[in-house]
Amino acid sequence: MEKILITLNINGQSCEVMVYPNDTLLEVLRDELDLTGSKESCGEGACGSCTVHMDGKPVRSCLTLALEAQGVTITTVEGLANGDDLSDLQQSFIDHGAVQCGFCTPGMLMSADALLKNNPRPDKKSVRKALAGNICRCTGYTKIVEAVAHTGNPKDHCPDCKPGK
Amino acid sequence: MSDYTIIGNRMPRIDSRAKVMGKAKFTADLKLPGMLVGKIKRSPYAHARILNIDTSKALALPGVKAVVTGKDTEGIKWGVFAYTRDQQFIQTEKARYIGDEVAGVAAVDEETALAALDLINVIYEELPPIFDPMEAMASQTELIHEDFPNNINIHVNIDTGHVDENFKKAHYIREDTFVAPEESYFQAEPYTIAARFDHEDCLEVWCPNGGPHMKSKPLSNSFKIPLHKVKVRKIAIGGAFGGRSEICPVDYICALLAKKTKRPVKIEFTREENTIATRQGHAMITTHKTGVDKDGKVLARETTCYMDGGAYSSTGPIATSVPFLSMEQAYRMESVRYNGYRIYTNKPIRGMIRTHGRGFACGLDTQLDMIADHLGIDPVEIRLRNSRQPGDYTSTKSFVDSCAMDETIHKAVEKSGFKKKWGKLPPFHGIGIGTNSVQTGFPMGIRGGSQSFIKFNEDGEATVMSGVVDNGQGNDNMLVQIAAEELGLLPEDIHLVSADTETTSSDPGSYSQVSTFVGGHAVKIAAQNCREKLFKVASKILKTAPDNLVAKNRLIFVKNDPEKSIPIKKVVRISLLNFTSVNAEGGYWPKVDMKREWVSNPYGQMCEAFSFGTTIVEVKVDPDKGQVEVIEVTAAQDVGYALNPLVLEGQFEGSIAMGGQGGMLTEYHEWKDGRCINTTMLDYKLPLACDMPPKINNIIVESLDPKGPYGAKEAGMSIAMSAAQGYSAAVSNAIGVHMDSFPLTPDKILAAIKEKKQ
Amino acid sequence: MRLPRFKYLGPETLDQALDLLNTHKDDAKILAGGTDLLVRMKKGLLKPNILISLKALNELSYIKKQDGYIKIGARTPLADIIASDLIQKEARALFQACEKIGAITIQHYRGTIGGNILQDNRCHHYNQSDFHRSGRQACHKDGGKICYAREEADRCNSTCQSDGATALMALGANITLESKGGQRTVDLANFYTTDGIMPFAMESHELLKEIIIPLHGAQSAYQKLAYRSAIDYPIVCAGVLLKHSLKKEIEEARIVVGAMGRSPLFLAQVSSSLKGKKLNDTIAFKKAADASMDSSATFAVHNVGATLDYRCAMVSQMVFQALEQAAKYIKR
Repeated sequence: MEKILITLNINGQSCEVMVYPNDTLLEVLRDELDLTGSKESCGEGACGSCTVHMDGKPVRSCLTLALEAQGVTITTVEGLANGDDLSDLQQSFIDHGAVQCGFCTPGMLMSADALLKNNPRPDKKSVRKALAGNICRCTGYTKIVEAVAHTGNPKDHCPDCKPGK
Repeated sequence: MSDYTIIGNRMPRIDSRAKVMGKAKFTADLKLPGMLVGKIKRSPYAHARILNIDTSKALALPGVKAVVTGKDTEGIKWGVFAYTRDQQFIQTEKARYIGDEVAGVAAVDEETALAALDLINVIYEELPPIFDPMEAMASQTELIHEDFPNNINIHVNIDTGHVDENFKKAHYIREDTFVAPEESYFQAEPYTIAARFDHEDCLEVWCPNGGPHMKSKPLSNSFKIPLHKVKVRKIAIGGAFGGRSEICPVDYICALLAKKTKRPVKIEFTREENTIATRQGHAMITTHKTGVDKDGKVLARETTCYMDGGAYSSTGPIATSVPFLSMEQAYRMESVRYNGYRIYTNKPIRGMIRTHGRGFACGLDTQLDMIADHLGIDPVEIRLRNSRQPGDYTSTKSFVDSCAMDETIHKAVEKSGFKKKWGKLPPFHGIGIGTNSVQTGFPMGIRGGSQSFIKFNEDGEATVMSGVVDNGQGNDNMLVQIAAEELGLLPEDIHLVSADTETTSSDPGSYSQVSTFVGGHAVKIAAQNCREKLFKVASKILKTAPDNLVAKNRLIFVKNDPEKSIPIKKVVRISLLNFTSVNAEGGYWPKVDMKREWVSNPYGQMCEAFSFGTTIVEVKVDPDKGQVEVIEVTAAQDVGYALNPLVLEGQFEGSIAMGGQGGMLTEYHEWKDGRCINTTMLDYKLPLACDMPPKINNIIVESLDPKGPYGAKEAGMSIAMSAAQGYSAAVSNAIGVHMDSFPLTPDKILAAIKEKKQ
Repeated sequence: MRLPRFKYLGPETLDQALDLLNTHKDDAKILAGGTDLLVRMKKGLLKPNILISLKALNELSYIKKQDGYIKIGARTPLADIIASDLIQKEARALFQACEKIGAITIQHYRGTIGGNILQDNRCHHYNQSDFHRSGRQACHKDGGKICYAREEADRCNSTCQSDGATALMALGANITLESKGGQRTVDLANFYTTDGIMPFAMESHELLKEIIIPLHGAQSAYQKLAYRSAIDYPIVCAGVLLKHSLKKEIEEARIVVGAMGRSPLFLAQVSSSLKGKKLNDTIAFKKAADASMDSSATFAVHNVGATLDYRCAMVSQMVFQALEQAAKYIKR
């Protein structure tokens, strides 16, 4: 089997990488490009831990062939922050206690980020629906849902919203 | 508002930032120079003699750097306890479950490693497998372990005496049997281990663990190297829930491959391997016989529990005891007899899991509801009449110091509107209550205590060393909060070195529920000792007695004259310039009965504190489809003191998801001939965001334990258990049938409704 | 979990794809979204030498109304179908079915309707890793002679769990299969072989190109039962179509039960029993629902995770609810 040279546009940067046809995007991100934020938890597209964006749409990278990820804009969790400046969503996760073990967190953030780009002020029901494909074992989802729903949309009753931050 | 500066506040966790940036390193994220990929060859048969293993073809495959089998080991059997030594790290004689380790391979990449596994030729002689624990006890076929007759691994017998005579005095007696299949951990992170031997022949290991010192000692023993040469490293961990505590064959195999190849080796489990080749929960059949007086006070109880232990002991003695112990802590049971049997079967190994016997606990609580029904009292009343009180001794003779069980009941009842609803809801709309208790630790012998070291750096910031491990529940943050509070610094001034066996002292491990009580306490004492040294120096500068000083916000100042202050940084520097150390250590060992033993002597002080919790659940059941809609969950726990309410709430909510929503409604394993049918995240039904109840009320109750740091004790876990009981009671109430088989899947609910109609 | 090796071919046009298919036939498999194919490859259930990807074939991704039909390209992502006003209004069962496939973030942008129709049959004994399946005799679908779901069965009893196919069959859809130098249109109801191993009456050089839904002014609905509200395949599902006269009487009904057999089950007799009934005839709906249960129960085996008794009982629930829902949409 021969390796093929492909060009991937990841988090605003163009990378050239040699891949096998059977390499998934997740494997290339993690093993070749040191972007280990996206995780493998189930290996079969059921848990959402490997979620990345392709042209802004959330997809599971464990079932995407690396060589089919060319010609699109790929965003991973590493691309959500602007250098050291976290996005509002990331900060909201921290402030609301939405991160416990953190293994599902990158996938959650990518799904939530896609939702917020389409719907900046979702109600909790919409958030739950949007995160239905991301499995978390630690949090019971409550604080994750709050963190997403309160991003850019602080609630008076919530002790963890920091308005103006 | 908290009495303290940092403790007691809703503080975002220190480890969250790295995690939201995708920068936190989990074991699978590690890359070490020259690292090889390891894979395990597993038995495809549930019970089989290993006649021969031929590794020659595998070794000859280009890219394969090492192959190990039982021949590369001394064949010694290992066990968590001296009397449970039943597992070789690589099987030499028999495979005892589908997944049992028979060989290991290290190769340059995954494809080669997997191809090598296929080339290892193992000749098996299949033996009759046993999958049912009751059949296993009666079986005449070859024993699973030759030293354990009737395939009984552990028998715990607890008898406080007077049981039969007190049954005779009872006004009403019930005997009921409850059944639950195994549940499973499904930590988000599949088990992964990386190991390497360095140039000084020191073994370095990274893996998710429930206590790195639990891993280092057996590795030290089996590789015959001193403990200081075994370095189990700190790494981000994607959940444990009571698992990942003791050493496993794959840990040894990975290290052995690293030794042989002289290169780092990493073994990543697939999701399937994480399900079948680590641990699962125990399937249990529990019979409770309870006799009460006419007021519903329990006079006598006899419980027998048969647990499906799987192929090896694991933490068998503890697993066989804790379901009972949690209930004897929650409820007064002066006269009780318990017989717990852990039985070997040719199935994956069962271990300690957060839910601690959902069938057991739900059974006991359900029976209380049935008794209450019969006596015409409500479920809350019967619980209050039997609930644990401060100053009590449990049946197994543990003194219960702080206890706010009743307060958790009252507050949950009030918040949920239980009294207004119970008995008044329309058909198929129900409400139920469950109460539970968790021990804050157990006797752990030489590893019962935790010690911490703190050093100040010249810039006035501090490095805290502790053996406490964080599995994701927030232990790192807890240690930093405590250290910052006592040292008078801010959390960002504290650097934590933790869960690394090279530098940190032994600690009981997170799975024993004592990370705060013992580990956090040790850090508190160390920090206080540091502070004492700082005050000694500062008192000379500020010309006042050390008693008059306060450390806060990076300053040391005089209590009633805060203008008189000096930055901590300066005090540190002055100390060092005057040849005085400000570093300190601290340790905490809970005063438990060291003679207490799970099997041989199950009496005596178990731990210094117990947590107590009550969960009330309200549900609607669809009588046509049997599906359950959870309306509201109210969870109240006596946590002693809430070090960080934000973190605590997250624990409550996670507990409800695991113990209640999943544990009671959808999670169970299905089997065919010893093969687990649902090993994946698709087929094993963990709750999703849209499945969870829309309203969860968290009630923190604080009894201020006299021994716990700031009064804190175990927190968050009793809810995993009381939630299960609450869900079960609510569904039972909704359909008017007391359920005895868990989880309460729609088919069971429909069958119960149908039977009731007839 | 790595994929096995394969040769990757990325045709730029439909003609190129058909050419390649014609050349490689059984040696090749079509790759669309990858949800079904790639997972099965990771489990070692199949190891095709060649993957022919539809990635560049945007010409197969469309939704249009033409000559009284809705025409959907096979490679149309589920997300597009869900977002389509046309489908929401005039092929509601398909909208409902697609919404419930998997979850938004994991399937809807990559998963395609063609891929959902052509997903292989499933069985919880068969859809397992190489390791799980070693150490026991192979089942029929795995090249052996045993069925683990139904003792003594001489044939494979794997189940069609496609939400999309169930809904489309209820809608009376046809599909177009293209090959090099040929094209044929088939009623979806006739597309199944009822063989669990090779469920589709389709040659290895053929490609599913288009789904054609007749617009006959009817209303439709789809109901799915699963343990959880997302991710899961159906354990039982039902799609119905109700065509009514001006007198609010049913002119034509189509009841299809899914996840109970080796193909979606179009229950012709039960469907025709509703002819002439009023749209608010709950009793007739109940009767039809129960009859659906009786008809489909014989086909089902215990191989998708819930108990067999429960699934059978739920057929009635799913059909009844779908009928009520379709009737409700008509009344609007």
